[in-house]
Formats: sequence, structure tokens, C-alpha cells
Amino acid sequence: MSSRRLIVVLSATIAAACGSAGPSEMFPAADLARMTWSDVTNRARGSTVRYAMWAGDEARNRFYQGPAADALRRDLEITLTIVPLADTSDLVSKLVAEKAAGLDRGSVDLVWINGANFRTAKQAGILWGPFVQALPNLQHFDPVAFRHDFGTSTDGLEAPYEQAQFVIAYDMARIATPPATFAELRSWIHDHPGRFTYPAIPDFTGSSFARHFLLHSGEAPPAAFAEHFDAALYARASRPVIQSLHAMKPYLWRKGETFPATLAELDRLFVNGEIDFSMNYSPTFASDKIARGEFPASVRTFVPDDGTISDYSFLAIPFNAPNPAGALAVINTFMSPSHAIMRAHAMGGLFPLRLEHLSEPDRDAVDALPRGPATLPLATLATRRIQDAYAEYVDRFERDWRTEVLQR
Amino acid sequence: MPAIRAAAPRVLALVAVATCALIPVGTVLVGSVASRWYWPAVIPAEWTLRAWNYVVSGSGGIGGALLTSSGLALVVAALAVALAVPAARVLALHTFRGKRVVLFALLLPMLAPPLAAAMGLHAVFLKAGLADSFTGVVLVHLIPAVPYATLVLTGTFSGFDPDWEAQARTLGASPWSVWTRITLPAIAPGVALAGILAFVVSWSQYVLTLLVGGGRVLTLPLVLVAFQRGGDEAVAAALSIVFVAPVLLLFALTAPLFEDA
Repeated sequence: MSSRRLIVVLSATIAAACGSAGPSEMFPAADLARMTWSDVTNRARGSTVRYAMWAGDEARNRFYQGPAADALRRDLEITLTIVPLADTSDLVSKLVAEKAAGLDRGSVDLVWINGANFRTAKQAGILWGPFVQALPNLQHFDPVAFRHDFGTSTDGLEAPYEQAQFVIAYDMARIATPPATFAELRSWIHDHPGRFTYPAIPDFTGSSFARHFLLHSGEAPPAAFAEHFDAALYARASRPVIQSLHAMKPYLWRKGETFPATLAELDRLFVNGEIDFSMNYSPTFASDKIARGEFPASVRTFVPDDGTISDYSFLAIPFNAPNPAGALAVINTFMSPSHAIMRAHAMGGLFPLRLEHLSEPDRDAVDALPRGPATLPLATLATRRIQDAYAEYVDRFERDWRTEVLQR
Repeated sequence: MPAIRAAAPRVLALVAVATCALIPVGTVLVGSVASRWYWPAVIPAEWTLRAWNYVVSGSGGIGGALLTSSGLALVVAALAVALAVPAARVLALHTFRGKRVVLFALLLPMLAPPLAAAMGLHAVFLKAGLADSFTGVVLVHLIPAVPYATLVLTGTFSGFDPDWEAQARTLGASPWSVWTRITLPAIAPGVALAGILAFVVSWSQYVLTLLVGGGRVLTLPLVLVAFQRGGDEAVAAALSIVFVAPVLLLFALTAPLFEDA
């Protein structure tokens, strides 16, 4: 490369890196009450929206750089720029630092978030809103489903987006019939020493796996854990569950002396034949991995009859988003049936919208969605679905697991 | 015969080094095109260009990240060397009060845990209005890059005799020709090595870029780490190759400089 070309390339890089997001106005969420939805879209038209999302999935990145961005450009002249995150908590820490430093104009307009990250963000006051009631496409979502996020009340600070449901994967070549309930799974683990493990808490999925035994403890129906914290119920239900999880340890992979730290490690143990089950919050994960050649074609998923936790992931706006109107317009578009159908085609996942509210053609499109070989039918998932426990149950249970199961 | 006997250990050593260097790179290369590769199979059951298709498709923003990383690392390397040459010269050729303190201060960024330093720096950069900008990232990369460059050049200058410059001046050379014809040729291998080190330091930064660049300055490590944590091994492997290739190329291109020295 000649030095002149190098200079051109360098200055182009610097210009691209320093370039601003274009004209956009900040306004307080309280103004939404005085605005109509077309006021919002008028402000949003022609702007750039910087969307921060976990970017460790090829299909996901392709979708947002491609079809999702194209549709926004076509319909609203909005340019969508992806800010890839290796972990959403990276952005949360950054926003907390920006808030402490008094940085009123940030660099991110929109973030894909849920669970513990949302709780931290809400407590730190780093979210813009409430805004959810202003979104026309909110009608497509079941109101019960987005009132809480991992037991934290959402208070209109985040809009429901994708739906997840816990599923367990097995290989038909090794297991003929998977256990029908969580109790049967526990017996299976005791009968097959060393053939099962789960990611150690604080891994999100590992925590959910262990929590299923609490929700299915029999002390109360799973729904009883969803609304508020009842210390007496927790004490009664958790003690035998923690004990049984401790009793399970010697029957786990490597006698429970060590746990995989991440889902990626669990999947590796599973495909390498060291253990017989993997687990995930995406009901289509096994089909996706078969398609990518990461799982053998004989892998299937199942959901025990007593039901698995289902929850939503959300879209939120940082307190110092330079372009809140653009973020609102993008969120509303992302909540539309056409986006959800397009997304299901591009990257699988559970279809999160209320089917009864869809138009006839949209419904046909949903029915026609291809289902991977390892994915359960929507109806099966829907009938075996429970709500997650209230945040304080989750915290207490994770703490007890750490002291009573991991460290003992 | 004696020549062969002398060459044998060298060849053996070369083979050993090459094996140690190539096995990890080779495994990663195979991983980037492997499909259905499960234990205990030694080789993958299928081969696929899926990961490479993704890397070159542009939908992951990898071309842009490569360009930003290269531009950033080149700017950082140039600035680090420019700062390190005078500093190293003074440290190597002069003694002065507090020299040890200066050396310690210089080494401090290499000793402090990167994350702790990054958190503090992020706050400073936010207050200075340098966060989320290319300039901010260049400055923050200089903090670990300058010590490495200075250390390397201090070694170079300690073998440099300033009397050569005096001789040239006596013979009527201008300051510029003293620099280009005496000093620079003498320290060139050190300058190249310092530049490469500074380049590699900037090239491999993750935490500092993430915090100070705020996702606005997108470098290759940012994209790579997302895939490593996401568990897509093929794409992570392909990106790793893209990540190490420019550095290997840089070493290959500058190797003749070191042979002369």
C-alpha cells in the first residue's frame, strides 16, 4: 500500500469512527403524554439509532445488519447501527459510570436487555421512561407476560420483545425416551452417575435449571412464587430442594466437584459425549445448532410435563440516549407482527406475539414458519409453560445454592 | 560432515519451534472450517465455509472492524515510537536524579491490573469529553503501548554511541542528515521492534477499547470476544485467524531488519 493510499484509508477510518449520529433531539419521557404517535415517528424519520445488543450469534448479527435494518430504512428512513456487546452488563456498567460522571448525552439509543441487567439498570436509574404505554404495537403482547422481568416489576421502562422458554436437549442415539418430569430427571441422574451436569450459578441458565426444582417442589403451585416474596413459603419449599440438589452432586459429571461455567462448555461436554443432556433458553437452539453442524442430527429437545420457565427479553432506552424518538420508533417496529415473522424466519426463536390478535395473513405466515427437526411445536411449549419466580426467591435460592450446594 | 553435525541441532530446534507454533494455529484453522466435529473423531466429519462466508459477507461488520483496528494500531504505534525515542534516549544515555522513579512510573501501566486501571481511566476520559471517540481510544491505548516501546528502545540506545553523531556534526552534517544517516540507521531494528510491540498492544486491547470507545470505536477484539463467549466456535476460530494474520504478516515483513542486526 502506498503511503498516500494509507493516509486516505486512515483518515477515512478516523472520520468513520468519529462521525456523529446525525441530527436528533433529546426529550424527557414525560413529554410522551403530550405527544401523539405520529409526533414520535415524525421526529424519528431520517435519524440514526444506535442499538446495543449481545452479538455472539451469527444469525442474529446477520438479521439486524440485514433485513431488520433494511425494513427500518425503507419504512422510516431510520439507519440502524449495531453496537455489539459481548455481555450486556458491559453496557450497564458503562451507563452507570456515565451517570456518575454526569454525561447527559450518551452514545447508545436502544439496548436489548432482561433479568439481572434490567434490575441493576432500574435500580441505578439509568433508563429512559416510562415509555411502554405509548407504543401502538404493545397490544400484540400478553399484558401478564411483561409486567415482571425475572421478578422485577418492569414499570414501563422496557418493552417486551423476544420470548424464551427453558428446554432440555438430548441425543436420540443415546437416550430413547427422555424423563417425563423433573422428578424423573432427578432419578435418571442418580441412576446414571457422571452423565449429567448444569452450568454453575451465577450462569443464567444453570440458575434456572436448579430453580425448576424449587418451583416444582410441591409446596405450592409454581404461580405462587411469581408475585411477591413469602419468607415462610421459601423456607418450607427451599430446604428439601437444596438438600436434594446437594445429594445429587456425587452423581453429576466429575462427581459434582466442578461445574461448567458457561452454556458453551455444557454444549461441548454434550456433543463430545461426556454428558447426555444440554439445556437452553431458546427452544430452537438445538435445531439451529444442527443446521450449523454443531450438534448431531439426532439431537432433540424436550420439556418436562410439569412445565418450564418462560420469560421475555426486552428493549430499553438508556437515560442519556441521544435519539429517544428514533429508539421508540424502532422498538415499535420490532414489536410488529411483520418484524416478528421476519425474525422467526431469519433466526428461529419462539414466536412471542398473541396469535389471536394477528390478521388472517399474518396468522397463516406464523403457521407456515419452518420448524427445525429438534424444536417442539408451539402448542406443546405453550401448555408446558410456567412463570418465573419473584426476584427475591431467585436471589435467595442462588445464595443458598452457592453456600449449601457448591461449597459443601 | 562437521557442518552437517552442527546443523542437525539447529534443524531439530527449528522443527520443534515450528511444531509448537503451528499446532495451535493449525487447530484453529481446522476449527474454522469444521462441522460435526465431535469427540473422539480426530478429524471433522464435514467441512464447511459457513464461518468464512460470514466473516467476508460484511454482515458482521468485520471489514470495518479490521480497518478500524489497523488504523488505530498504526496511529498508536507511530505515536508511541515518537514518544518513546526521546524518552528512551535520555533514559539510556544520561543519569539524573529520580531516574529510578521515572522508570517505575513508566512501568506502572504494565504492572497495574488492566480492568482496575480501565475503570478509573474511563471516568477520567468521560470528564475530559474523550470517551466514545477515536482520539480517546488512541490516547488510552498509548498508556500501555508507550512503556513497551520505551523499554525496547532503551535497550537499543544503551548500545548506541552518541560520539558517532558528534563525528558527523564535526564533518559538517546538518541535524537532519545526522538523524537520517547516523542515528536512525543505528536504532532502526529497535524502532521497528518498538513499533511492532506498540502495534500488537493496541491491536489486542479489549477492555480499554470497550470502555473508552463505548462501542462506537469497533475493533476486531470486540467482535471476536462476542463470538468466543457466544460459543460459536467456527466463527470464533475464523475471526481468530483474521485477528492473528496481520500481526504475523507484520513480523514476516519486518524480519529482514532484525537479521541485519
